Amino acid sequence: MSEWLQQAIARADSIQDGFEDQRAASLALLKDIKWPTRKTEAWKYTPLRAVERSAAIFKEESPELDPVAVEGLEFLELTFVDGQLVSLPEELPEGLSIEMQESSLFGTIKPERHIFGLVNDVLAADVAVVTVAEGVVVEQMLRINNLLSNGAQGHIRVVVDLKAGSSLKVVENAEGQGASLTTAFTEYQIGVEANLEHYRFALQSGDNVAVGGSHFKLFENAVMNSSIIGFGSDLQRIDTDIIYAGEKANAKLNAIYLLDGKELFDLHANVEHAVPNCTTEENIRGIAGDNSRAVFNGRIHIHRDAQKTLAELNNRNLLMSNKAEINTKPELEIYADDVRCAHGATIAQIDKQALYYLQTRGVSRSQAQLMLSFGFINELIDQMPTVELAEWVRPIIRDRFAQMEVK
Amino acid sequence: MTEQIDKALAREYEAGFVSAVESETFEPGLDEDVIRRISEVKGEPEWMLEWRLNAFRVWQEMEEPDWAHVSYPKIDFQAVSYYSAPKSMKDKPKSLDEVDPELLRTYEKLGIPLVEQQMLAGVAVDAVFDSVSVVTTFREKLEEAGVIFCPISEALHKYPDLVKKYLGSVVPTKDNFFAALNCAVFTDGSFVYIPKGTRCPMELSTYFRINEQNTGQFERTLIIADEGSYVSYLEGCTAPQRDENQLHAAVVELVAMDDAEIKYSTVQNWYPGDEEGKGGIYNFVTKRGVCHTNAKISWTQVETGSSVTWKYPSCVLKGDNSVGEFYSVALTRGRQQADTGTKMIHIGKNTKSTIISKGISAGKSNNAYRGLVRMNPGAEGARNFTQCDSLLIGDQCGAHTFPYVESRNPSAIVEHEATTSKVSDDQMFLCRQRGVDPEKAVSMIVNGFCKEVFKELPMEFAVEAGKLLEISLEGSVG
Repeated sequence: MSEWLQQAIARADSIQDGFEDQRAASLALLKDIKWPTRKTEAWKYTPLRAVERSAAIFKEESPELDPVAVEGLEFLELTFVDGQLVSLPEELPEGLSIEMQESSLFGTIKPERHIFGLVNDVLAADVAVVTVAEGVVVEQMLRINNLLSNGAQGHIRVVVDLKAGSSLKVVENAEGQGASLTTAFTEYQIGVEANLEHYRFALQSGDNVAVGGSHFKLFENAVMNSSIIGFGSDLQRIDTDIIYAGEKANAKLNAIYLLDGKELFDLHANVEHAVPNCTTEENIRGIAGDNSRAVFNGRIHIHRDAQKTLAELNNRNLLMSNKAEINTKPELEIYADDVRCAHGATIAQIDKQALYYLQTRGVSRSQAQLMLSFGFINELIDQMPTVELAEWVRPIIRDRFAQMEVK
Repeated sequence: MTEQIDKALAREYEAGFVSAVESETFEPGLDEDVIRRISEVKGEPEWMLEWRLNAFRVWQEMEEPDWAHVSYPKIDFQAVSYYSAPKSMKDKPKSLDEVDPELLRTYEKLGIPLVEQQMLAGVAVDAVFDSVSVVTTFREKLEEAGVIFCPISEALHKYPDLVKKYLGSVVPTKDNFFAALNCAVFTDGSFVYIPKGTRCPMELSTYFRINEQNTGQFERTLIIADEGSYVSYLEGCTAPQRDENQLHAAVVELVAMDDAEIKYSTVQNWYPGDEEGKGGIYNFVTKRGVCHTNAKISWTQVETGSSVTWKYPSCVLKGDNSVGEFYSVALTRGRQQADTGTKMIHIGKNTKSTIISKGISAGKSNNAYRGLVRMNPGAEGARNFTQCDSLLIGDQCGAHTFPYVESRNPSAIVEHEATTSKVSDDQMFLCRQRGVDPEKAVSMIVNGFCKEVFKELPMEFAVEAGKLLEISLEGSVG
């Protein structure tokens, strides 16, 4: 067992805040879990040296930090700094509530044995429970900010409960300064005919360590649309689980990763089709430059009863450098016969002919490269339902490309 | 339709007879003494014994792998007999006339072209019965061409330098648990050497059969194709019907030198166990080939037997411009479990690989494709295309895909696609509308589904494979 994990357990053992019962089971599991190595399938390509070496500490006092502004959008802000809840929206729309309390959903949607999920179970100080009442449509976007100051360690956890027929838009935003370490897990229950529009941005890079997940459970006729955009860091790992608990539900997941330097980014997407007649569409695109390493694992599991499932996964990657590395593993596990299921994965570099074409039109090689790789990513950004967010993220990505280009 | 399914599923394993051949079999159990005895019976040189003992020690330190998508009760390696030979083999036959007629009848039942058929088929056969090579036909004709085709035990005596140089060079002792076990206890197998610039005048073939109860079969095949040569090699397997599980842990090593080409085809029809999953062969096989510059290795396999299959014929594309191919049809039914696929390791520049895998699951079986495509940093301009299609027949089976794709070279292109579907109602309707009965229609559709792979098989194998599939599938679709 790593020293880091021992310290985490020791800290968890000493916390007394009235939520001990909620943590007890996870603490017990954590105590005899094996620290992942290269031989642990879920961490095969993702070494945990960055966690083992991390000197991030739990700060007694944290500086004031503000989340980045997005032009044209006024969020309901739920802000954590260094793992502590620092601000709640002053006024909440009718039908939306945010409370710090025990929740019966806590730990039921994320996978049980994810080692950092368990760490999060026992170390997340303030568990926020967001509830949208039946039939309520919340127009304003809710943003969950996970802000970390220099060298800080923080663990945040949010549970979101969308009651039947309700609708909510959520942005999960992580901004960490240097040498920080965080785990951030959110669990969403999307009730009958409810609708979730979801974004997860991990646009921090550098020597941060961030492990987390967004996990969804969908009931009958529920709809979700999620976009994940991540830059790599010392270690950036996001897990997402989509679990169908009711028929005719429908999920769409778009994800983008853009890596530079020595960054590492790892996305694990797992879909559990446990009931019939549900539809999943996943589009994952990534670019790895310089010395970076991208990891993608996309699993679609179709249970025995899940007839008439439609599931598609598409993972396309651009490898930009001789020293970069892309590891992808799309998995299908199928136990029902009347389903349509497909996955595809490609790894290549920018099409030479397309480059040549642009060059013959007077575009410089580097400019052409930028245009083509931006176009590759932009297709997914264009699909983001909230236009303001797409407008906001585009220049950030353009800067990222420019930065990658300079090297 | 259910009746038909039941009838079809209850079909008997046609190769399930037991031959009344007297045999000499070791007591079950495995320790250094058993290995010494195997080596002694074979009259092996000292270095070979040392090699085996070393492998045994390595094996003892290793853990049985559990990552495959299969489940079976733990194997008691001490309950297996590691050597069984037909008694009449003691005085080696000099020609076919001297071979125990009972043995020949066995092969006849299996339809191996051993005597007259072989003349027509033009196939040279090395038949491995339980653990020893029975007879190698057409030897003279091959000798004329300079081709060496003989049991590996014989090669150890006649061509020790070649064996010493290449044995374990592709699949090292430590490669995996079952390969290490094979290194320690392998009893026989085939050895092939094709000299420089030679095109092997006929197709070479090995037939494996496990006859004795409680025996394991551990054969070892080593094929070396020297510069600019070509060989096509066929392998078939059967075993009698028995209630207990039998272990088959083989190792096949291929070496394709510069500009050489090896085509390796397998039709695997080990006893799959009964409908409840009782008995059957555990087929845990390691197959791998190395391609040097401009060389090509092509694996084609049709897997219909075994209760549990764990098999990943692989290519290490070491030389520039080398080519690796993998064509596979895996059919599981009853309670069969298959976890099979390939590994393509691209090391050289402009290396190319193609993977076409067709999995068909019926009954209560599980069929998984597991593959790895790796582009090393030096694999400039390398190319891979992978296609895995699964067909599900019935709602009690499973079809799975676990492809690992790793790329470390930007100029390499990797493409992977996989689909899963069932025999569609539209296809069935179309066939039936034209007066084709449902059984025939399914067989047609499945044959069409597998066509890309069958066309890679040598003619006589393609016919056998098609038939095998047809029998296995009879009426199993409603």
